[in-house]
Amino acid sequence: MIRFLIYRLLSAIPVLFVVSLVTFLIMWLVPGDITAEIGGIDASAADLQAIRERLGLDRPLWERAINWYGDLLQGDLGYSYLLNRSVTDAVLERLPVTLSLAGISLLLATVIGMLLGILASVRHNTWLDQSAMITALVGLSIPDFWFGIVMIIFFGVWLGWLPTGGFVPLSEDPVGWARSMVLPAFTLAITQMGVIARMTRSSMLDVLSQDYIRTARAKGMPARTVIFRHGLRNAMIPIVTVVGVISGVLLSGAVVIETVFSLPGVGRLIIGAIQRRDFPIIQGGLLITACVFVFVNILVDLAYAWFDPRGRDDG
Amino acid sequence: MTAEAATDSFSIGREIALARRRRKLVFLRRLFLHPSFLAGFIILTIFSLTALMADVIAPYEPTNLNYRSILAPPSAEFWFGTDAFGRDVLSRVIYGTRVSLRIGIAVVVLTGILGTLLGTLASYVKWLDGLIMRSLDGLMAFPGVLLAIALAAALGPSETNAIIALTVTFTPRTARIVRASVIVVQGMQFIEAAHAVGAGHARIIFKYILANSLSPLIVQLTFVFAVSIVAEAVLSFLGVGPPPPAPSLGNIIADGRSNIQEAWWIAVFPGLIIAVVVLGLNLMGDGLRDILDPRHSASRETR
Amino acid sequence: MKMHINLVPPLRVLGVVGIFALASAILPAPLQAQVEGGEIVVVQGSNPPSLDAMSTSSQASRNINMNIYETLYGFSEDVVPIPILAEDVVISDDGMTYVFPLRQGVMFHNGKEMTARDVKASLERYRVVGATGNLLTPVADIEITGDYEVTLHMVEPTPTFLEAFSSPRAPAVIIPEEDGGTAAGENSFVGTGPYKFVEYIPDSHVTLEKFADYSTDMRHDGPDGFGGKKTAFLDKVTFRIIPEPGAQVAALEAGEVHILEQIPMPAARRLESDPNIELHENLQWAFTTFIFNTNVPPTDNVKFREAVQVALNMEEIMAISSEGLFSLNHRWQYPETTYDPGDIGAEFYNQADADRAKALLEEAGYNGEEFVILTDSTIPQHGRAGVVIGEQLKAIGINTVINQVDWPTALNLRMQDEGWNGWTLQMGIEPYLGPVGLIATLASPARPHFVKPDPELDALYLELTKGATVEERQETFKKIQAHLYEMFAIVKVGDSGLMQATRSNVEGFVPFRFPRVYDVWLEG
Repeated sequence: MIRFLIYRLLSAIPVLFVVSLVTFLIMWLVPGDITAEIGGIDASAADLQAIRERLGLDRPLWERAINWYGDLLQGDLGYSYLLNRSVTDAVLERLPVTLSLAGISLLLATVIGMLLGILASVRHNTWLDQSAMITALVGLSIPDFWFGIVMIIFFGVWLGWLPTGGFVPLSEDPVGWARSMVLPAFTLAITQMGVIARMTRSSMLDVLSQDYIRTARAKGMPARTVIFRHGLRNAMIPIVTVVGVISGVLLSGAVVIETVFSLPGVGRLIIGAIQRRDFPIIQGGLLITACVFVFVNILVDLAYAWFDPRGRDDG
Repeated sequence: MTAEAATDSFSIGREIALARRRRKLVFLRRLFLHPSFLAGFIILTIFSLTALMADVIAPYEPTNLNYRSILAPPSAEFWFGTDAFGRDVLSRVIYGTRVSLRIGIAVVVLTGILGTLLGTLASYVKWLDGLIMRSLDGLMAFPGVLLAIALAAALGPSETNAIIALTVTFTPRTARIVRASVIVVQGMQFIEAAHAVGAGHARIIFKYILANSLSPLIVQLTFVFAVSIVAEAVLSFLGVGPPPPAPSLGNIIADGRSNIQEAWWIAVFPGLIIAVVVLGLNLMGDGLRDILDPRHSASRETR
Repeated sequence: MKMHINLVPPLRVLGVVGIFALASAILPAPLQAQVEGGEIVVVQGSNPPSLDAMSTSSQASRNINMNIYETLYGFSEDVVPIPILAEDVVISDDGMTYVFPLRQGVMFHNGKEMTARDVKASLERYRVVGATGNLLTPVADIEITGDYEVTLHMVEPTPTFLEAFSSPRAPAVIIPEEDGGTAAGENSFVGTGPYKFVEYIPDSHVTLEKFADYSTDMRHDGPDGFGGKKTAFLDKVTFRIIPEPGAQVAALEAGEVHILEQIPMPAARRLESDPNIELHENLQWAFTTFIFNTNVPPTDNVKFREAVQVALNMEEIMAISSEGLFSLNHRWQYPETTYDPGDIGAEFYNQADADRAKALLEEAGYNGEEFVILTDSTIPQHGRAGVVIGEQLKAIGINTVINQVDWPTALNLRMQDEGWNGWTLQMGIEPYLGPVGLIATLASPARPHFVKPDPELDALYLELTKGATVEERQETFKKIQAHLYEMFAIVKVGDSGLMQATRSNVEGFVPFRFPRVYDVWLEG
């Protein structure tokens, strides 16, 4: 297990290297730079050039790249002049928002999705199965950011039950935090709920048709035990894989949902940085997000290995 | 299939062709009898026809503005109401399907070509495998459409750039799927047989390997189509999609979002259309998967 | 004080609106019991690029900064320079020295008293990092002539200096001496204002707290423009950043926030009769303009530009871009203000004359060259104006392409001499500053917005800054107005307003160039 973990961690390095190269490519493509944002509409060409020189933006990209990698090796991701803080601070400050949003959505999507899927597989070919699957299909077809807007109007404005946006830190007010998370998390979960429900159903159907389940049933084991002890446990492998993929989707979906619900998360940080041409944040933000994603995938592989001991030695 | 059969007389060749056609017909028959596929196909046909005949169906020009009828609610004159420019939302949505369809098809075609190329190359040319796959892993390490957003913003808002950004984002997974299925097919006996009779690499790749790993690719591409349509809306929503006044579905939603309470119709209708089209594509994908790959029915790999 | 406005129909074409807005502003504060304490949330759409007031001219920054920092001189409610941190100014007869005695006992948020050393350090810093640092170009030397007195020695007499020095655009605020040597954006955000800076989380909020030791300017009865007697009633003020206008309105309706810096007009119309919400109209908020690139074809041809000028239907552009809160105005000043140039140029304005435009196009020898409109989605008025202008020009046969980008990109692109033909720009603070502040953006030494300097306009600008009396400057401004309608390098589209909204329990809010959170309290 440890060897497997080390192997996975090491194999993440080239991946993250490619990620950093792509972020440089993006920087190279982006027209303009931060100077217009700092200088504003008054700045003359000379002012802009002065700012550019002060921030080192006038130097060739390869030179900036070398400097950046040099700093990275010392654990320094750079400094954002617009935000007045180091990139690491800026990202870490917001990571809790994005992670709690993605985490809660993942929980919602998995729990509700699996319940729908189990229900559908157990009542295979009944109206329950069909309506669960139609729900799942409709859920995964809805564009989530649009659904978010509709949710804000419905629950935030018309009914007034929940806040329309904004974030309350957990440490300040747990109830407020929960209330601020309900709508965005549910919005984000809705499509993935459908994916998980469908996956659960099909792998449950696969497993339930296996001989040993039939044997267990024939031996008179109670239905619930059969489903949860044998069926679900063995259906977990494909489900875990899907959950892994979904956590990435949730991370990126959070980008858009954070904008819709005005949540100060990493996604909005990156989008804002792209709009403002805040290069250090774009690079650092994308790199850290990719790190989180790669790390989640390693966790998924571990879970996979746990559910299926044969998988441990696969690369 | 033996070497003799492949090179034998004309009549045998014709018989094979006939058998193929028969198989194709059977396949199509099964496909169109599949309820999901049929429902999805109908939805997509209506969508495509709307897009193709936009100039005939749309009651007004999609960019015609009229400041005397700003934010008018749905009525007999404007079925879907008007937007903040006094433009007819119905006409814009109709033309918007055209933009979505164009982006969807372009991304599917490009992703299909690039994915197949990279996937086949990786599986066929051993020394390239590591390089290609690690690069694709790197691209896939950007969660979801984050890469597309960053790329589209970097390239500047335009339809072409949105297509490029989405293609770059969706190619890696497609290439992986192609590579995986090519590797499976490569190991099969009939490929060895083809090698044995001295068939050229190109012939083997095109005639046997690709033809036989087509199913997962097709299923993946219906999925890419659906995601592209949603992703276009996301890009436009964030202001990095096709620029105005282009009536893309995402642009219409973006236009409507600041007045969502006063003029819900602007954002709600295009959103519904996207949901319905994506639903249609998902249904088609389900049907295709059921028939092409019965083992993994009713669920598909996710984004 | 609040005003209930009869909300405008979608079409608002008013001639004289200034008086209404002005009257509401100068009326004395009502006799209501003011309540101490509490906190409010003010909403704006974008992050302040900097909380270092002098280094930025952004509105998003000014909204917050002007509650934290103060200047020696600033504009009063009716746009006349008044002393704020200065006691007064004594200008020598030859216009070569400005002596500023300072108010004594003014405390910084860090607990130290403001002295002449702080003022000198601040102004020296302004020369280096000030976004409009060149306003100190006429100043040769800043001398400390007493513990509480600073003297500016000029290079040459500049009659308009005090006006420029009072400008809130990138205000020459006074900060502690310790911050004097810091680079732009790296000061400690310490000022002398009624509220002090507590925290800034980008994309989320800026928090301000009441400054208990604020030294109130007792020369006035209440706030007056950027100065006057300011009283902090609220304990805490949060500026929350919500980019989505729809989400902003929803938050206001839900009672989560108290003041919207800007509310979209359709929402304002819907909420007009809502007892929980008050609307505040800021009519003379900005000039909507359309700027040509006079450096590249086809816009290097004055006949082509004239064709566009007479083709445009300003009413349609304004109605859509401002969502209905506007007035038509061909003048490069607000009507009925000091420098109002009258009817000059009116014959070219809001003509929507396709035939004349086509004739001019022919005269210009136009044959289908691309006309690229540069606009942005960040400022919605820009994007909407760009779209409408594009449609109107397409209708007379101009091959129009819209390039809608985001604001920083637009700023970058328009700095390039090529690649664009027209650029949409809301001039917010510039017209407010009067003729010099406005024309400075079109004349040398700055790079004119329309790219290629115009010698005649440059000469007129110089004449304007040297004009010794108001009358002389008025005459010069008339010449400028006439010249702007000869060169057609920039189109005045109209005057657009700004609608603001508060919850009804917010008392004392008076709309102004920034949301003043002092002298605002929550109903008990």
